[in-house]
Amino acid sequence: MSAERRYTPTHEWIQPFGDPSRMRVGITDFAQKEITDVVFVELPKPGKQVPQGAEAAIIESVKAAFSIYAPMGGEIVAVNNAIEGNPALVNRDPYGEGWLFEIKIDSSPEWNGLLDEKGYEALLASGTGGGH
Amino acid sequence: MTLPLFEHHRKRSARMTDFHGYMLPLSFTSILEEAKAVRERAGLFDISHMGHFCVTGPGARKAMNSLITSDLEMVPFGKSLYGLLLNPEGGTIDDLILACPDEETVHMIVNAGNRFGDFFWIRSQLPSALTLTDMSPGQIALALQGPSARKIVGILGQGFESMGRREVRLPDFGNGSLWVSRTGYTGEDGWEFFGPAAILLDYYLKLSEGGPDFGMLQAGLGARDLLRLEMAYPLYGQELGPDRTPIDAGLDFAVNFRKISFVGREPLLEKRSDSRRERLVGFILTDRGIPRSHCSVLDLDTGRRVGEVTSGGYSPRVGGGFGLAYLDPSFAREFLLRREAGVEIHGKIHRAKVHARPFISGGLIEK
Repeated sequence: MSAERRYTPTHEWIQPFGDPSRMRVGITDFAQKEITDVVFVELPKPGKQVPQGAEAAIIESVKAAFSIYAPMGGEIVAVNNAIEGNPALVNRDPYGEGWLFEIKIDSSPEWNGLLDEKGYEALLASGTGGGH
Repeated sequence: MTLPLFEHHRKRSARMTDFHGYMLPLSFTSILEEAKAVRERAGLFDISHMGHFCVTGPGARKAMNSLITSDLEMVPFGKSLYGLLLNPEGGTIDDLILACPDEETVHMIVNAGNRFGDFFWIRSQLPSALTLTDMSPGQIALALQGPSARKIVGILGQGFESMGRREVRLPDFGNGSLWVSRTGYTGEDGWEFFGPAAILLDYYLKLSEGGPDFGMLQAGLGARDLLRLEMAYPLYGQELGPDRTPIDAGLDFAVNFRKISFVGREPLLEKRSDSRRERLVGFILTDRGIPRSHCSVLDLDTGRRVGEVTSGGYSPRVGGGFGLAYLDPSFAREFLLRREAGVEIHGKIHRAKVHARPFISGGLIEK
């Protein structure tokens, strides 16, 4: 498993963080632009088990509420408390300081079903991005 | 459908959205930043989707007055008037702004989503000697709003800055009438322009180029909706509809029962005294959350559904999640006396308390 970032068709990103079974999750730059100004983020509780594709967080923007789905199944092991006080971080730095939560993954084969950078770019170019 | 300024918005990388079939900017940078700019400096909105009609002929003003709730014949020529078109049952067909340069000419601005319905309704009600014209096809319409609007409008070099509040000018440039009014939908000072693209493209380019020197931002529908909701202005389709009267929506100021009779007057009088009538209230959440249209309002003691949110949002100026809701009359009375209600958002109950309308004092209210 490389340290690259992978993507979902619903515009989440996931990336190994520290040890290879621990993954950091956020939303893509495309998603933050679509969502517009983030006002609150409802983060999952650490310790919660989430299957792949299940709703793990809710982002409330000025425009609407958006469900954020777990790109891979596992246990929530950390959440980004900084965005509780400063939700605009999700807009300003979606791949960095605006990350949402970390997950200890159950099954590494799920990784192979995710989109790589090229695949995600192709999805955006085709204009058929679902989810948000 | 795309409107004349579409390519200009695309070049500015605006996020576009579909509004009643028209592609319009939702936001250019940030909805909150754009709304803040309008409250503190100025914002420029593309409102080309809105309808502009003109009625001409003998007795045009009197004939239109029999279709609206407010009294067009009491307003001086060249001043705008807010009113509502009612159906024969007293429900709302649309809300609109009207102005007359003389007794034989009425101009009006109507909501985009109701443009065709309004046109056929008004046509069906007017004497055949009167001409009703839809001036909107191909038009550009702009709203320049904010405390700096007066300085910025001077860029156009047309003397519009000397206009009084609610004044409407209808200069004829030969290629279709132009509507210029010192009005708006944000609670701030400002101007609205409706007219042929040939003239208004020049206005748009001048304002886009010169406005930023005064701190003006281009603003989208997201900011427009937030600003109007902060002022508790109704939006057709949310607070108003064919089953809602202006009295239900708290628009009593726009209804005159002493003027000449108007369509819907008798049923409206009856509904006004109906004790089962739902009441529109303003509320703010006491905890974190953003209410949206169609969220249920609940009695916290019994869990009974007592109403529905019509518009909701989040505003740093109001201090959190806030909105408007229609409530059952019995619950509304207690809610107005400070009893808290529940608002259900994503299956969770948030506490809400009554809030005065408007939610904030816009620039116009302090003046």
